[in-house]
Amino acid sequence: MAELLIQQSVNWITLGSIYALFAIGFSLIFGVLNVIHFSHGDVAMTAPFIALAAAQALSIAFGATAPAWLVLAVIVAVLAVGVIGAVLDKVVIRRFRDAPAMMALVATVALGIVIRELIRHLYPQGSNPHAFPRLVSGVAFEIAGVPVSWLALLVVAVTTLLVALLFVFLRLTPLGLRIRAASEDRIVARMMGIRDGRVFRATFFIASAIGAIAGLLFASYAGVTRFDFGVMAGLLGFSAAVIGGLGSMPGAIVGGLIIAGIEVLAQTFVPDGASYRLVFVFILVIVVLIFRPAGLLGRTAMEKV
Amino acid sequence: MLELKDVDTAYGAVPMLRNVTMSVQAGELVCLLGPNGAGKTTTFMTVCGVVRPQRGKVEVMGKNVAELGTENLAALGVGLVPEGRRLFPGLTVLENLRLGFDAVSGGKLDFEGQLDKMSSLFPRIRERLRQVAGTLSGGEQAMVALARALIGEPKLVVMDEPSLGLSPKLIGEYFEITREIHSRGTTVLLIEQNAEMGLSIADRGYVLVKGRVAQEGPAKELLASRAATSLYL
Repeated sequence: MAELLIQQSVNWITLGSIYALFAIGFSLIFGVLNVIHFSHGDVAMTAPFIALAAAQALSIAFGATAPAWLVLAVIVAVLAVGVIGAVLDKVVIRRFRDAPAMMALVATVALGIVIRELIRHLYPQGSNPHAFPRLVSGVAFEIAGVPVSWLALLVVAVTTLLVALLFVFLRLTPLGLRIRAASEDRIVARMMGIRDGRVFRATFFIASAIGAIAGLLFASYAGVTRFDFGVMAGLLGFSAAVIGGLGSMPGAIVGGLIIAGIEVLAQTFVPDGASYRLVFVFILVIVVLIFRPAGLLGRTAMEKV
Repeated sequence: MLELKDVDTAYGAVPMLRNVTMSVQAGELVCLLGPNGAGKTTTFMTVCGVVRPQRGKVEVMGKNVAELGTENLAALGVGLVPEGRRLFPGLTVLENLRLGFDAVSGGKLDFEGQLDKMSSLFPRIRERLRQVAGTLSGGEQAMVALARALIGEPKLVVMDEPSLGLSPKLIGEYFEITREIHSRGTTVLLIEQNAEMGLSIADRGYVLVKGRVAQEGPAKELLASRAATSLYL
């Protein structure tokens, strides 16, 4: 029993860290633009496909497969997805910034479908699952005989580092200050000489790049990626952000951990819980929306659309 | 320095400003007066470029604001104090001031030096620098909003109803500071409902009624004639 608890605790922290990264993207974009970017999960899950394509291209160009190619491919994927996010803002989402929230919602849902279908049709055998390599392999150490993988450690370390970097960036850099100002009052931010278009694109770049890292860790943890993983990644990330409080960074982390905790508990203690673990997750989302519409750590409830 | 020429604006189908023409010359302190709903805040928003005129144009330092865009006004040397202070409530006082400084100074001034100047002008600011702006009292917020507009040493300051919601003592302090800023050479457009206080420190005044300029002239004449105040008091 103790071994099971330890094993599931490791799974909980690992999965919770990944969900938290997805949720941070939602929260960052909502906090700054007041837009729920429903295609964020789909944007994030393009990263594993870009990384696979980049790794393959590097192997073809330079010969044998090497770990360095995977690292390089991961960096390429993160930057590319950041750019994709910024371009989507420039081309599509900015047009809905001052529109009723329903329009932005429908537009971003549609955008997600477009992204999924593009992957399906443009990526070789895009409808099929594609094996995704473990970014690091092997066992780091054992706790009471339960192995803790290097991948689990990597996930937790990367999440912790990203959260710390994001905190420092938002608190201590001029661009971070502008992003926070624009998130509080766009009109006055413009009066203070802040070019909100640039701030929004920077926000999209950062949120999408963090999403890409979450997508890569998710694919590596699952060992596989598929064109429609973005739907579930998006729903879980969004749910985590809602539970924690949309717009709140600590809320995103707490929400990610809560959702992962419920999943793990359902799988561990409910007979055949793995099949309907998401039922428990989304029941919690509904309960939170009823009793705490602003989320556990949030300040603003979502407006009616 | 600031000119509105035959400006009409509307919110949807509701006309707000009608054929408004007014100007503020360099070195002047001009007061725009008017009762509630006269279009004072719409004038402020039009000067800032947030509301676009349907007809006519607004020029700041010879540049058309509609083409320039709100975000480029600060770089021209325009400090803005919007109605209701509108500090960034989740940011500290220091961060609010930093944004005002970066917007207007163009990197030509020293932030610490300017912070000292603002602290001598508004003594209570120094002890509140690390405090989140949303937790300040109304009077303190009013002072920080003015300091945020002034810290980059703007050539022109436009204030929208800064005395609204302040106690009589604070209103007196606020107008004294505005007079002092003007005496140092800063051009000021003061949009106010408090006609007596506004006109007492202004060079010239305009009275806005139902979106039109109903009266204009030297502040002393407007004050003496009582016409400006009787129009809406």
